Amino acid sequence: MEALTLCGPSVDRLNQVENDYVYEIEAITNRVDTASAFGFAREASAILPLFGIPAKLINSPYDIKSTDLLERKTNKLPLEIKILDQDLVSHLSAIVLDNIVVGPSPKEIASQITISGSRPINNLVDVTNYLTLCFGQPVHIFDYDKIGGHKMILRTSKPSEKVQTLDGRNHELLGGDIVIEDGDGRLIDLCGIMGGKLSEVDENTKRAVLFVQTYQPKKIRRTSLYTQERTLAAQIFEKNPDSKLVVPTLIEGVRLLNLYANARVAGDSIDIYTAKPEPKTLKLDLKWLNNLIGIKFDVVTVISILKDLGFDISKKTDLQLEVKVPTWRLHDISIPEDLAEEVARVYGYFRLEGKLPLVPNLSYSTNSLLNWEYLAKKYLADIGFTEIFNYSLISQDLYQKSGISSDHSISLKNPLTIEFEHMRRSLIPSLLMDLENNQGKIDLPMRIFELSNIYIANEHAADKLPEERSILALGTQGLDFRTSKGYLEALFKQLHLKNINFTSHDDNLGPWQKNQTAQIYSDNHFLGMFGPIKTLVKANFNLKGEVYLANLDFQTIANLSNTESIYNPISEFPDFIEDITIESKLYISELIQLIKQENSLITKVIYKESFQNRHTFTIHFNDSTKNLSQDEVNVLKTKLLKIS
Amino acid sequence: MNQEIKEILALLDQDLNQSTTLEKLRQVELTYLGKKGKLNQIFDKQTKEEKAKQGRVLNQAIQEAAQKIKDKSNSIIDQEANQKFDVTIPGILPPIGHLHLVTQAIKEISDIFEKIGFIRRRYPEIDTDWYAAEGLNIPKDHPARDDQETFYVSDNVVLTPHTSNGQLREMELVKKPPIKMINIGKTYRRQIDASHVPMFHQFEGLIIDKGINVTHLIGITNYFFQNYFGPDRKARLRPHHFQFTEPSFEIDISCGMCAGTGVLENGEKCRLCKSGWLELGGAGMVHPNVLKNGGLDPKKYSGFAFGWGVERVLTMKSNLNLGDLRNLYSTDLRILNQF
Repeated sequence: MEALTLCGPSVDRLNQVENDYVYEIEAITNRVDTASAFGFAREASAILPLFGIPAKLINSPYDIKSTDLLERKTNKLPLEIKILDQDLVSHLSAIVLDNIVVGPSPKEIASQITISGSRPINNLVDVTNYLTLCFGQPVHIFDYDKIGGHKMILRTSKPSEKVQTLDGRNHELLGGDIVIEDGDGRLIDLCGIMGGKLSEVDENTKRAVLFVQTYQPKKIRRTSLYTQERTLAAQIFEKNPDSKLVVPTLIEGVRLLNLYANARVAGDSIDIYTAKPEPKTLKLDLKWLNNLIGIKFDVVTVISILKDLGFDISKKTDLQLEVKVPTWRLHDISIPEDLAEEVARVYGYFRLEGKLPLVPNLSYSTNSLLNWEYLAKKYLADIGFTEIFNYSLISQDLYQKSGISSDHSISLKNPLTIEFEHMRRSLIPSLLMDLENNQGKIDLPMRIFELSNIYIANEHAADKLPEERSILALGTQGLDFRTSKGYLEALFKQLHLKNINFTSHDDNLGPWQKNQTAQIYSDNHFLGMFGPIKTLVKANFNLKGEVYLANLDFQTIANLSNTESIYNPISEFPDFIEDITIESKLYISELIQLIKQENSLITKVIYKESFQNRHTFTIHFNDSTKNLSQDEVNVLKTKLLKIS
Repeated sequence: MNQEIKEILALLDQDLNQSTTLEKLRQVELTYLGKKGKLNQIFDKQTKEEKAKQGRVLNQAIQEAAQKIKDKSNSIIDQEANQKFDVTIPGILPPIGHLHLVTQAIKEISDIFEKIGFIRRRYPEIDTDWYAAEGLNIPKDHPARDDQETFYVSDNVVLTPHTSNGQLREMELVKKPPIKMINIGKTYRRQIDASHVPMFHQFEGLIIDKGINVTHLIGITNYFFQNYFGPDRKARLRPHHFQFTEPSFEIDISCGMCAGTGVLENGEKCRLCKSGWLELGGAGMVHPNVLKNGGLDPKKYSGFAFGWGVERVLTMKSNLNLGDLRNLYSTDLRILNQF
């Protein structure tokens, strides 16, 4: 079990059932040839010897030859098969049988069907299912007498044609599906997917048509997907099984039906090959193989592995092998890399030892945006904010609720639900939703943030990809304006942004409250918005108390962020520290500027509080050349009080 | 004067009674024994004859005062040493915030690879069908497409279902090998249930150069496992299929609970893993068609690539027991504030 899992189809489970074992295997999607008992055995016969377990493949369907069973025609029942489009089926075979006695299958067949997870039905249907599981070649059986005019026309369906399948479902076809029309103009088969109800075998069936074929994979897949009939047959046919299995399966089918259902051959076998598989030979360069895998392979091992898998070595030199691809691998072996995979996997990847590659380190720097993003996130977490990851998709509803425009936003053609229909044009709606989701669940204050991309549609060039822009959105609830603003100022300080100023702003406020909201600048670079949320929007999200949101363009911030510090020599002489109250109608930041500009001996201005238009500051006075006197300080204070 | 001294010493006794802290005591010391202290003032007031006669009495008084102050000082120190304080009282925490687990995982993963010279990238989440599929050797109408359940913006633009679009973009960007990159970003698949979320993160590693082979992929995988999960963890490759790699592998990691044996110390079967191994994700040697589509000559260069889920390694590492994967993207602060 482990050997197969390591080198071929994975064995997920191994269960004992009476005297037998059931392997639950996973065949990978490009290896339809392993999706059968025989296919699995074929893999095992190549893999087990490398684990010291001798293994020989027996009862290969490819060894089945036409027997005299097929010649023992007692009767000759007419059957006409017409293929209207050669592209639909690459190999078609059929044979008429009579003398049939329908009944339950014998134990050996019924138990295999049951253990494989299906339900035994009768000896006819069970034989077809048995062959499908055994060889990986789906088989169908029709009731001969239900085929109108004993005529089968294989063609594509027209739009709106209807067919009822064996499971009782009625399908209205889109057109282009592979179907069989009988002599009476009725659709009796949805080819490659499931048989039609009209031609179904039942307990009264006396004569039947055994039908084995390989269909055009793309058409089968398309029909199977939209009709939602993901039958085993469809899943096999869509992956291009070996057309050389068709006739051996037919022959074996006849033998089993003869044995279990008393069937006798009643006509010539029909064998139509519209597209014989093209032989393929690949060159395998041994030095190249060693370089790709990373070890030196022994040529003898390489050849024996390929041979056990069914590849023929048609020519060999010390440097190269010419390898002929067996028919059941024509669909997945096309380039030397495919052969390399065959050799290496059977040899065993687990035998390879890991080596760290010596690749010179590249000299250019990584994306600095990513570094600043992490630094900012870490700092915010360190000062008390919790990071949230919201989904990139929101609903139209959420945009409206938040007062944010969805202009230039991108919507999906196939969203999961309308909750996840539009790519975010702003992080604010999600953040408001986050605050709402936490109401009453957690003690205030709340401090949250998200740093993610928003997606801006490129209106001028529809074929160009949208811009993905890094945005930082923060929210607080239960904190006042100054505290919330303080967090932003601290972040800007951490990133060494210069000349931060907050200006009052009243246009295009979206969810922000008029007269209380700021635009933030660093020099003349716009960074974003900060302020309390409108009452209406707060109500939409059931938010109580003070709620502040900041929306920052992190791309711009990252461009301006740096790690430069400036050193200012400290004065030898102590500061004079005095409080002063100034009456003024100016904005505080303007007032602070004026105070600072008044005299160079004023080294620090710390805002304390305001009462109506009277603002109190703590001022630091310092002269780096000498000790200041109280008188000198008083003179300066008098000047300051004149500011208004 | 003797009377004055007696009064001062009596005052001193009163003041010492009030001195409960060393600071207060220091004030008392200054008041009585300082340059301008009470006792020294008497001394200054005396005439030369008085100083000669009473000098000794004053000195004695000063010494007595000093001793009383020292005794009081010792008694305060002793008292403070014996004062009981409840150390179990909870501290007042400063504001504490939390980085999301995914951010933490991405940082850890990024650091591990950057340490050995991988360039960190973040390629588009919204990309063209070429970069997300066709250029990766997945033709239109190919069965491999449906397995990924892709979100479409238009016929030609998708939300990338994997970080493999980064492979083609990196080849175009760097143009000439060596190429050594780790692309970490958001990926999207049309699936939501207990073990799938529609938006998640992947990390894609890619090395392309002359002579890169399968043993290098194993080496890098082991390096990542040992640094992220622990020095005792191993990688295992199994055959698989991807359109954009050949050979392709499914990579397993040895189970941490049972040391890769499948059996716990008490003899019971390990329930966390499959016979000692856990599935991690896919990898493979870059398909020659993909190299060509990236503008490189497959005859000169070879490379390997792997694409694994950030959420997957995160939950595998910490045995978080999140249960439903959707909990990882919860917006409930009661969950997020635990990390």
